[in-house]
Amino acid sequence: MLEDELSVSTRERGGVAIIDLVGDVTTFAEEKINSAYTQVTGQGAKHVLLNFRQNDYINSAGIAILIGIVTEVNRNNQKLGVSGLSQHFQKIFRMVGLAQYADIYQDEDEAIKGFAAAAT
Amino acid sequence: MASPNSDNEPVERIIELRLPSRLGYEKVAMDTASSLARRMGFGGDRVEALRTAIAEAVTNAIEHGNEHDSDMRVLVMLTARPDELVVSVADQGRKQLDQQQTTPTPRIEDAFTKQDKGGWGIWLIRELMDEVEFTTAPSGGNQVRMVIHLER
Amino acid sequence: MELSFPSELGYEKVAREAVAAFARRLGCDRERVEDLKTALGEACINAIEHGNGRAPGLRVDVSCIGADDHLEIEVHDQGLKRYESSGTIASIDLKLSGLAPLRGMGLMMIAQLVDEAGFTESVDGRNHFRLVLYFRKI
Repeated sequence: MLEDELSVSTRERGGVAIIDLVGDVTTFAEEKINSAYTQVTGQGAKHVLLNFRQNDYINSAGIAILIGIVTEVNRNNQKLGVSGLSQHFQKIFRMVGLAQYADIYQDEDEAIKGFAAAAT
Repeated sequence: MASPNSDNEPVERIIELRLPSRLGYEKVAMDTASSLARRMGFGGDRVEALRTAIAEAVTNAIEHGNEHDSDMRVLVMLTARPDELVVSVADQGRKQLDQQQTTPTPRIEDAFTKQDKGGWGIWLIRELMDEVEFTTAPSGGNQVRMVIHLER
Repeated sequence: MELSFPSELGYEKVAREAVAAFARRLGCDRERVEDLKTALGEACINAIEHGNGRAPGLRVDVSCIGADDHLEIEVHDQGLKRYESSGTIASIDLKLSGLAPLRGMGLMMIAQLVDEAGFTESVDGRNHFRLVLYFRKI
């Protein structure tokens, strides 16, 4: 009764494929996140941004899904960034080691600039 | 505590909360209930109404039913059903709520003369919730049962 | 305060809110409330998935005791399975190279977010997981 509370959508901006994540990132998010990633990769995305919206609830199962995405990003030679995380979840991402594999930006604008700078 | 129907599919989920009888703890009931209500799909207005109603009910239980006795608990039971949320708030006190107090609409003019300036809480609960019932709890204290319907 | 909820994924969200409100009431600062919410959520998920073995119809109980400068929380399941931590914490690199499962980070996160965490002795076959959080980081 209280399961599915995540909406995932994709768009493109400044050469970056943005995956917007609004809601809870838990075990129930797996299919939605994976298919969004597969979709943008299929469209040839080299820069992928996971754009969070100050989500209140990201748990370890959700983080496991994101680690799965990192595995694919490494395999596909893409660059991954995350934006829009609260201070608390930035801390969590660093704690589990995701910061080594995905650049953490405060917001989307900073991310777009960051991807561009890294590309040069 | 799932209640299976004939297809053996559970139709309700129950959350129980036992709070100390100290003012301020109604906030815990409010946040718990609104978290559940939002996730059930209730809109902002209904969630706000629920927060206010449950705040009044818990405050009443603390102040009147349990008379601020910190050994006593306020028992809040939230029952989530597919199309409604049932909230019951019970105290463990011995001071029975006069049933006559639960029905009349308070008039502000009366409040100027009455000793007890309250009475608005119960009226507010009736205004905000879809169904309201005052009874005696299994433990012997006062219980208010409130229902809010989920419009889809 | 005590809270009891259905042992189903999703309901830990309500427990998080209840415990957060309790912590705020006691004067816990905001960053620590966030730490507590995340740790408590993980402990509840462990109770649902491991302690209660995802079996339907069971419940998880959370008891909270507040003190002047800290609070203690215990998460109790119905003990279908006794579970303890595996002992080894897999790094992200192990996970990325496929040498460790992607999941299993909950206990590690809990340990880093609260001041004390661990299983208490069980005499009734149920799992009891205890968290202690000081309101200001010590």
